[in-house]
Amino acid sequence: MKKVLAIGLVNAKRFVREKANLFFVFVFPILIVLLIGSFFGGGFNPTVGVYAAGEGSLTEGLLSALDGLENIDVRTYSTEAELVDGVQRGAVQGGLVIPVDYDQSLTSGESSQVGFVARPDQTAILLRQTIEAVIQEQGNLVRAARFAAGHTGGSFADSLAVARIVAPASQRVGVTYREAGDDSLTAEFSGLGTFDLGAHQELVLFMFLTSLAGSAALIQTRQLGVARRMLSTPTGTGTILMGETLGRFNVAMVQGLYIVLGTVLLFRVDWGDPLGALALVTAFALVGAAAGILMGAVFSNDSQAGGLGVLIGLGLAAVGGCMVPIEIFPEGMQTIAKFTPHAWAIDGFSEMVRRDGTFVDILPNLAVLAGFAAVLMLLGTWRLHRVLTR
Amino acid sequence: MAGNILEARGLRKSFGDLVAVDGVDFHIAEGETYGLLGPNGAGKTTAISMVTGLLEKDSGEVVVAGRSITTSSTDAKAAIGYVPQDIAIYPDLSARENLDFFGRLYGMNGKERSARVGEVLEIIGLADRADDRSEQFSGGMKRRLNIGIGLLHSPRLLMLDEPTVGVDPQSRNAILESVERLSQEGMAVLYTTHYMEEAERLCDRVGIIDHGKILAEGTRAELVALVGQRDRVRMSTNDRTEAAAEALRSHAAVDEVTASDGGLEVLVRGAAAALPRLLELAAGAGVGVTSVEVVEPNLEAVFLHLTGKALRD
Ligand SMILES: Nc1ncnc2c1ncn2[C@@H]1O[C@H](COP(=O)(O)OP(=O)(O)O)[C@@H](O)[C@H]1O
Ligand SMILES: [Mg+2]
Repeated sequence: MKKVLAIGLVNAKRFVREKANLFFVFVFPILIVLLIGSFFGGGFNPTVGVYAAGEGSLTEGLLSALDGLENIDVRTYSTEAELVDGVQRGAVQGGLVIPVDYDQSLTSGESSQVGFVARPDQTAILLRQTIEAVIQEQGNLVRAARFAAGHTGGSFADSLAVARIVAPASQRVGVTYREAGDDSLTAEFSGLGTFDLGAHQELVLFMFLTSLAGSAALIQTRQLGVARRMLSTPTGTGTILMGETLGRFNVAMVQGLYIVLGTVLLFRVDWGDPLGALALVTAFALVGAAAGILMGAVFSNDSQAGGLGVLIGLGLAAVGGCMVPIEIFPEGMQTIAKFTPHAWAIDGFSEMVRRDGTFVDILPNLAVLAGFAAVLMLLGTWRLHRVLTR
Repeated sequence: MAGNILEARGLRKSFGDLVAVDGVDFHIAEGETYGLLGPNGAGKTTAISMVTGLLEKDSGEVVVAGRSITTSSTDAKAAIGYVPQDIAIYPDLSARENLDFFGRLYGMNGKERSARVGEVLEIIGLADRADDRSEQFSGGMKRRLNIGIGLLHSPRLLMLDEPTVGVDPQSRNAILESVERLSQEGMAVLYTTHYMEEAERLCDRVGIIDHGKILAEGTRAELVALVGQRDRVRMSTNDRTEAAAEALRSHAAVDEVTASDGGLEVLVRGAAAALPRLLELAAGAGVGVTSVEVVEPNLEAVFLHLTGKALRD
């Protein structure tokens, strides 16, 4: 154990001596923090533009439902062209086109197609999620009303009014119809600042990406012949690997906490239960460090490892739900995502932030992350022993 | 065998088709200095790497201080101080920091470690540069630091793999003197080199290695006896070398005379005794001898005798 510390300490000492690394640890994360801030527009709500071609009580209802959303502002447009223009110029983050026959179609039991216009960015995806939830809810009411009208023989309009009153109180209507769509999910998102969502994912992406760059440290130690020389002392390969991992863990940890604190102070990002957040950052830093060291044991050339590290880092981030929320992945992809540590870390933050979970609720996530780290370190030890002794 | 700090038996290692070490056996007695002498590519580094447990053996066995050494040994390696052929230090750490780091890996604690680091810095003559980053050091200084790391824990067996390669004569001499001193203090040493003079100067026993095999082994005298106790006398002559060669061959102690450009090489049993008479014989043949050089047999000659080639080409 003392030897692990000795190796970790030297690793850290050498890291700090390299001035470029200080930029990497302290300045680069600030850029990430600011990037998160600007990307997700911390502090201001996204605005949705609406153009209603026709009128009627359902159209009105939809408009007022959107108006009622806490985190979204609504601006109405009088032509579709103006709306599209507004989206393109970024005046609004998304545009909703309610067709002329919206009321009529729904009342007569046909389906109706609402148009959504947006630029392809993450805010738009989240905006769309929220809007879909609202529409879904209205659809539920309509269906409930039609069901009631069919059974009671009353008019649709009356039944709709009844359904509106009953809906909040009656679990039956609400629950039955919610099964049809995935609005439980969007309900979860709708109460959440879109900004929080992005920050967790950015943190995970960044920590892992920079941890993989840590492979260079082990490759250099190997090239210097020092790694092999360590093995000539009464020190096992496992100890060497743990020491090197500890060195990189320190770096990942400093970066991770730095980003968390920075975003809390600057943008009031919610990271959930502080103890839970600390545990998640710690576990994820360990996974990242172990992954970086494994790469350092596999590759002998640091530019090769660096290039591949970026690919792997971005690839796992995409699959693990750092770029697009995992909840809107198709089901197969959601399963695949479970094989990335990213998904487990993000899920841990979601658990705490969206579902008000605590440290205890994320214990499974922490256990899985610890498992990832253990497996990566075992693989790393095995591989390092091979490259040093053949 | 009791009293041996190292026993290596049947060491073998191939890299693909190339057999780098081909059945090497040797032992080192407690306190003894043993040399592996052979040209580049002979298999010295491969052999020493297996002995230190840094390289997986294809077959064979190594026992150091009574304990078997493999690549997974840890505690058993405490008896060994290893100095690799290629300098293995952190260039961005100072000499002291490098020593301190390895001291920790050798399991030395606080006070003991810092005291010993100070001692080693004295031994390797880097005390006044202890806190400079080692990347600023000359080649010779780096070599000495490289050696110092292997000395830290006062190992019972020190293994040095060609420690003087690429070093200026002054540093080289300092290194050889340190090894002599450590040996006098009772440390056993395994020393590989392709410099005949170093092996002769330092080693109690020498194994001559080529193509992965130890061809002969013994003290300097034992090895030289393989060639026969003959001295080599080189004479530079001005003229008529053929006639002189004839005359010299008549002497009973002379085994062989070869005429070469501007001179003669004579293999003689007991050159000191025969030399006056040899000069008379040359003069009698009407040859003017301008200079004489007597070369006693050495390991170079032994290597030549065993392999038919020179140690260094
Ligand atoms: N890792 C390796 N892979 C392939 N060939 C090697 C390797 N290490 C050494 N060799 C070869 O084995 C032979 C012995 O090398 P080495 O033990 O380094 O010799 P020496 O130290 O006596 O100069 C050489 O021919 C060398 O090229
Ligand atoms: Mg060598």
